[in-house]
Amino acid sequence: MLRFVGKRIWSGVLTLAVLVTLTFFVMRLAPGGPFSRSRKMSAEMLEHIKAAFHLDEPVWMQFGRYVWGLAHLDFGPSTRFRDYSVGDLIAAGLPYSLTIGFWAVVVASLVGIALGLAGALRRNTATDYVAGVVGVVGIAVPIFVIGPLAQVVFALKLNWLPVGGAQAGWRSLVLPVLVLSLPNIAYISRLTRGSVIEVMRENYVRTARAKGIGARRTLMVHVLKGALLPVVAYLGPATAGIITGSILIETVFAVPGIGRHFVDAALNRDYPLVMGITLLYGGVLIVFNILTDLARGWLDPRVRHG
Amino acid sequence: MMTRCVWGVLALLCATPLWADDTLDRGVGSEWSSLDPQINFDAAAAWIQSDAYEGLVTFDGAGKVIPGAAASWDMSADGLTFTFHLRDGLKWSNGDPLVGQDFVNGIYRTLDPATASEKGYYFTSTIQVKGAAAISDGTVKDIATLGVTAPDAKTVVFQLLTPAPFMLQLMGSFQVAPLHKPSFDQYGPGVFIDPAHVVSNGAYIIKEVVPQSHVLLERNPEYWDAANVKIPFVKYLVTEDVATELKRYQAGEIDITYDIPLNQIESLKASIQDEVKISPSTEVIYYSFNLQNEALKNIDLRRALSLAIDRDTLETKIIKGEGIATYSYAGGFDPDYHGPQIAEATMTQGEREALAKELYAKAGYGPDKPLTLNLVTTVAEDSKRRAQGVALMWKKVLGVQTEVNPMERKAWLDAFYAYTWDVFADDLVGDFAGPETFLSYQRPSAEPGYNWVSPEYDAAMDVAAAIPDPKARYEALAKAEKILLDAYIFAPIEIAPTRHLVKPGVHGWLPSAAGYNNSQFLTLD
Repeated sequence: MLRFVGKRIWSGVLTLAVLVTLTFFVMRLAPGGPFSRSRKMSAEMLEHIKAAFHLDEPVWMQFGRYVWGLAHLDFGPSTRFRDYSVGDLIAAGLPYSLTIGFWAVVVASLVGIALGLAGALRRNTATDYVAGVVGVVGIAVPIFVIGPLAQVVFALKLNWLPVGGAQAGWRSLVLPVLVLSLPNIAYISRLTRGSVIEVMRENYVRTARAKGIGARRTLMVHVLKGALLPVVAYLGPATAGIITGSILIETVFAVPGIGRHFVDAALNRDYPLVMGITLLYGGVLIVFNILTDLARGWLDPRVRHG
Repeated sequence: MMTRCVWGVLALLCATPLWADDTLDRGVGSEWSSLDPQINFDAAAAWIQSDAYEGLVTFDGAGKVIPGAAASWDMSADGLTFTFHLRDGLKWSNGDPLVGQDFVNGIYRTLDPATASEKGYYFTSTIQVKGAAAISDGTVKDIATLGVTAPDAKTVVFQLLTPAPFMLQLMGSFQVAPLHKPSFDQYGPGVFIDPAHVVSNGAYIIKEVVPQSHVLLERNPEYWDAANVKIPFVKYLVTEDVATELKRYQAGEIDITYDIPLNQIESLKASIQDEVKISPSTEVIYYSFNLQNEALKNIDLRRALSLAIDRDTLETKIIKGEGIATYSYAGGFDPDYHGPQIAEATMTQGEREALAKELYAKAGYGPDKPLTLNLVTTVAEDSKRRAQGVALMWKKVLGVQTEVNPMERKAWLDAFYAYTWDVFADDLVGDFAGPETFLSYQRPSAEPGYNWVSPEYDAAMDVAAAIPDPKARYEALAKAEKILLDAYIFAPIEIAPTRHLVKPGVHGWLPSAAGYNNSQFLTLD
């Protein structure tokens, strides 16, 4: 097991190195630079500003400087938010994204698995249809429609929750968490339903029943363990995406997380911030993929010994 | 970083609702770029800065220059020396005395290449301060060579290379915020976002800064006019999405919005007309013609294109953003300036279109030989609507085939010097609400990118630049603008508006073209 994890971490580090290199050079192909903002500034002044951020050096030298900084856990200064380093911005925004993402994953998993189970066990009944409708709505209706709708209903009409921002403590989190979890509830419930139905037809489940094991125990121990494999496979990368911040959610609900940096940093040509966010996302994605593999190994002996 | 993350999560979970009636909640759009007064270069941060810092002058609710840290000032007869006399007993927020040298230090830091500020051009180009260019080039380091000096604690003297009667417009906190050197030297540039150590001299002090969320300001008891600052707290809230901002306004989370969604303006004007505040800004939108393009070297063709644009229809039926149609370039900001319009401004649109057709034919184009153009614009919703509207009008009136090419803002800026366009959807935000900032920009020396050669215009601007008397100078500027407009190197289209929603409980909000709406002049029910 240790060898397996070690191998995965090593390949993860290599992947990150390739990611950093590619992003660094590809990003510079886009037209414009961090300080091309207006045409009023004289060319000399622009050169001075570029020099202050070492943007006047050859690109390979900038790359060396960046890697050297990374080795010292220094992500560099943000060129758009001049008061902050990239590390500061991530430290300020990540707690918001993490909190919302964590609760969204919890809600999505619990509700999604419950709905999926209910649908599978009571196939073609009202429960199944309700779960199915939730699934279709969750997948088909995009966040930028559901989000504003939820704001109108819960904030403007009922006055229960704030529209957005982070000024009202936990109440600010409710709408973003619910809306973010909705499409995931939908996916997870469909996945669970399908795979529970499939697993229930398996020989080992029939054997368990034949041995006289109770329906509840068969379901919880034998069926669910096998049926959750695809859910876990989905949850790994999805969690990485969810906890590093959803750009749509953060924009619609004015959440001060890091999700918005994904797009804004690129539009602002804030090279160090783009790098920092890419590294963070890449790192989290790799970690969750490793965790997913471990969980699948635990759930399915074929993965473990294969 | 990890520990800070954990604390952040805990703080977030424990935070309690903070709705207080003594707080004015103002929207600032997507986010301020910096709270460093010598670096900040955007409009959103300018509001925060104007509340937290005070320049030599300040601006009243309507954007008019009034005494700030300086109680009075005088200009020498040649217009080259300005002397500012500071108020008695001025103090920084920590109680330190505020002196003339603090203003000199602020300007020096703006110019110092080590600061990497984008604002140096205010002192090297907009107004030309003696010695400023050499410091900003990095060739000279000595602060004594700068033409801004403090001969004593209560005096600041500016020495200029050319007269600049509009100079007071640039003496507010956005350009000349003072620098509290002891705190800056001790804590570095990080001090400006550090509520524990930041020292300011405005009506408010910085109390809390959360990136991408908000800045909280509290009334500064050491401010010279603190007795007249009515609102105890001001909170600037980030809301990137303008539709969300509108809902936050409707829910009472925000008292003054940063903008209004284009597609909501009409219905809001019908339902809450008194809260909709739309007024002209100092941003002019104009379509520049590529003078390297053989066809567009023909002035008849450029004139035809300008006249074929039905500006009123464009604003009221197509863009619907409440922009103001314009036929001039530098007018409309200062009521004292009576500049010219393009010659055909007094005609009806029908007459203009008839003339446009005539000129188009004269230039050798027609149904058999239509002109094809490539129009480069930004991807902003109103910019796209404008470009498509103009393309449609050119097609309808003249038969011109226009390809509209919307680009992301940085690419659009880059495209300008690459000349991958025939028509460039240009815009310029004035440094102040007066004609000179626009007319200077069109000098071939200031923006060689237009490839416009006009010794007459340069000469006319030189004449104006040497006149210290404001009235005579405006007359000379108007003559220069006439030369500019007669060349049809661009089609002036619109003066862009500022759009805000202001709650009925907020009093004292007035339209201000330069965008100064200091919280100290507002009151809250």
